[in-house]
Amino acid sequence: MNKLQKRAWYELAGVVAAVIIAATGLTVLVHVNAKGIIGLVTFTAAFLIAGLVSYIGNIRTYAQFDEREKKIYNKAFALAAGAFIFCTCFISFCIFFIAGGKSLIPVYVPPAIFLASLFTAQFVHSTAILTQHAWEQADGQ
Amino acid sequence: MGSDRLSNQIRRLRLDNGQMTQQQLADRVGVTRQTIIAIEAGKYAPSLPLAFRIAQTFGVPIEQVFQYDNEKP
Repeated sequence: MNKLQKRAWYELAGVVAAVIIAATGLTVLVHVNAKGIIGLVTFTAAFLIAGLVSYIGNIRTYAQFDEREKKIYNKAFALAAGAFIFCTCFISFCIFFIAGGKSLIPVYVPPAIFLASLFTAQFVHSTAILTQHAWEQADGQ
Repeated sequence: MGSDRLSNQIRRLRLDNGQMTQQQLADRVGVTRQTIIAIEAGKYAPSLPLAFRIAQTFGVPIEQVFQYDNEKP
């Protein structure tokens, strides 16, 4: 297993952990009806920590990839970006079509849509990397 | 990512150069062993700089390592 595959598994594990933590956190925040500075600080801190860990990990690993691994990684990133846009649009419009244009939705739904799209994109990214490697191996390496 | 029209002689050149392993070639040209495997199998077409580095490693012109078949459609 090379660095890119290890990175993909690491990200996949990170996605699962992040989903559990974020879902728990969002549930708690909704339950205590957090708003104003408490909600803002909590979300900002969570995103800063998650983003920083992911960014540092990516930069350090990406620099060690060779040209083929960078191609695989970038292709997976493009797929993930597409998945993020599709997921955001799809869920948003689904809500519109299901609930109707004049209905009201709880305020935690928009951040939940964003988080769901983010996690879907990350999942697609990791899966795309691992799938490309699997295809190569299946082709008779 | 691969190229059906690009063939190569890397495997033969490795064997002709003292049974050089894929790992040794990978280390010399600065890529992973998986990338050398993919290039040898024709699953990945290397960049021009990498192709030149591979040719330089074997001490032969690049056209002796890689052949482009322009007969096929």
